[in-house]
Amino acid sequence: MISRTQPGRLRTRLVTSGPGWLLAAPAVLWLLVFSVIPIGLMAAMSFWKSTIFGTHPDFVFDNYKRVFSSSLYIGQLLRTLRIAISTTIISLVVSFPIALLLARLKGPWKSTFVLLLFVPFWSSYVVRTFVWLPILGRNGVINDALIALGVIDQPLDILLYNQGAVLLGLVYVFTLFMTLPIYVTLDKLDPALLEAANDLGARPLQTLLRVIVPLSLPGVMSGSVMVFLLSVGAYVTPQLLGGSSSLMFGNIIASQFLSDNNWAFGSALAVTMMVVVMAVLSVLGRFVGLQQGLSGSSG
Amino acid sequence: MSMVSATTDFPRPAATTRAPRAARNPWKAAVVIYAAAFYCFLYGPIAIIALLSFNKSEVTGLPFLGATTHWYHVVFSRPDLMAALFNSISLGLLSGAMATTIAFLLGLAFRRGFFGQRVVLGLVLLPILMPGIIGGIVLLIFFGYLGIRPGLYSTVLVAHVNWVLPFVFLTLNARLQGLDRAMEEAAADLGARTHQVMWRVVLPIIRPALIATLLFSFSLSFDEFIRTLFVIGYDRTIPVVFWIAIVERLSPELPAMAVITVLISTAGSLLGFAFSARSRIKNS
Repeated sequence: MISRTQPGRLRTRLVTSGPGWLLAAPAVLWLLVFSVIPIGLMAAMSFWKSTIFGTHPDFVFDNYKRVFSSSLYIGQLLRTLRIAISTTIISLVVSFPIALLLARLKGPWKSTFVLLLFVPFWSSYVVRTFVWLPILGRNGVINDALIALGVIDQPLDILLYNQGAVLLGLVYVFTLFMTLPIYVTLDKLDPALLEAANDLGARPLQTLLRVIVPLSLPGVMSGSVMVFLLSVGAYVTPQLLGGSSSLMFGNIIASQFLSDNNWAFGSALAVTMMVVVMAVLSVLGRFVGLQQGLSGSSG
Repeated sequence: MSMVSATTDFPRPAATTRAPRAARNPWKAAVVIYAAAFYCFLYGPIAIIALLSFNKSEVTGLPFLGATTHWYHVVFSRPDLMAALFNSISLGLLSGAMATTIAFLLGLAFRRGFFGQRVVLGLVLLPILMPGIIGGIVLLIFFGYLGIRPGLYSTVLVAHVNWVLPFVFLTLNARLQGLDRAMEEAAADLGARTHQVMWRVVLPIIRPALIATLLFSFSLSFDEFIRTLFVIGYDRTIPVVFWIAIVERLSPELPAMAVITVLISTAGSLLGFAFSARSRIKNS
């Protein structure tokens, strides 16, 4: 990926022949101060003590005891993982056929539909989550339409403020992050492989299941990692579309900082979440594919 | 988003034009119907909101009581919204410029190679891997501990640079790696000094990519919400104002506000898309 400078080239005055670490210094300094130290501080604070007088440096395990001793937080964490995994699976099922179709399209149609896929995702997810409120709400578009059609007499309350609405919102907001990496891998697929499968007598379904799907796995993996990561930390969607029984772990962490003012406990919750996420990721384990999926090139 | 540049980045083999029909035909009709449903799912809600933004009704929703541009006038006459719009735009430009500068220098360093660059790459990509809510919390704790008061051009700016940096770096680095070394060497052999090679060879070649990166990062920053929420204090950006407006009550001008923000971020990204297409043509 990174081309090594050959010794002979050092004599020419390339821009890039300056000391690498000097060019990297602004980035390294920025990351150190605004990323490494803050994360370290949060990890440290998860062992501190919060009282009504504030948060004080200490080294106690009280916060973690509180996280793991009651089934409340563990239950919330498990439900959050379940929602994130469901979102990932639904996104995969929804995205795969579209990615396959886009990869097979040609010429101007292809670029048009790929562009059309992106446009909604360029807008804020706050806005794209909000759009469901006037649609699913009690006086929303769906209820009004159903009443006008005579299907129901009273507006339905079950459309909003439940786990189904949260899943719908999460899939709506994050599905591109699944579609894109799958599309990228399928688009790179050598058509000769499909022809070979065809020539060797494979039926379309066999070609799909035994050639296309296995070869799309790198894209599926990086898409799954992205959607899982985005939905496991969701805050906006469950806050707006979920009821009190479908809040996610992100909402619980946020409330420690935004309303309860218990930073030490909030840090412990956040560290717990990060550790669990990293554990899930190492099981899914493909950081390499992630970078490719994001940049779309082997750069 | 920055990933846009990805879609058509790689060279396409000529053979793609001759896809085997046999493998596709039985599925074609089903897939086309499915695609129509998928795009309706993507665009339907936005279309409904656009329609509702012109509704004369005082409550957000149906029935449609007639067309009016009243809600757009309401949005444009609210000084707090205009202030938030200004804040979001200047933050988008500033964080984009800062992230692009940092990422450009880092990309040059990566071309050269330096000790510990794998660790640095991991750190750059970390904000993508870390849930956004934690990205906000760590900065809240950090600035809170240091006693730095929340502010638009201090804490929020840092949050935004953190967020856009990985995307900016990934797109710029791909472009820089693709830059032909022979051009720099030729310029140097012909007697150009280092800064001349920089300003007259490297920068003109990657200028469209730089502009594209700036526009994408503007769009990313303009839409950033969760990290901002934790460090913004009493300032407001468009997504934060929008959030507060939703949480407090569904005011009738919200759909118009949604349409305006969608148009701004889409315009930024479409321009970025056009520039990144240009940079590809130039580079190939």
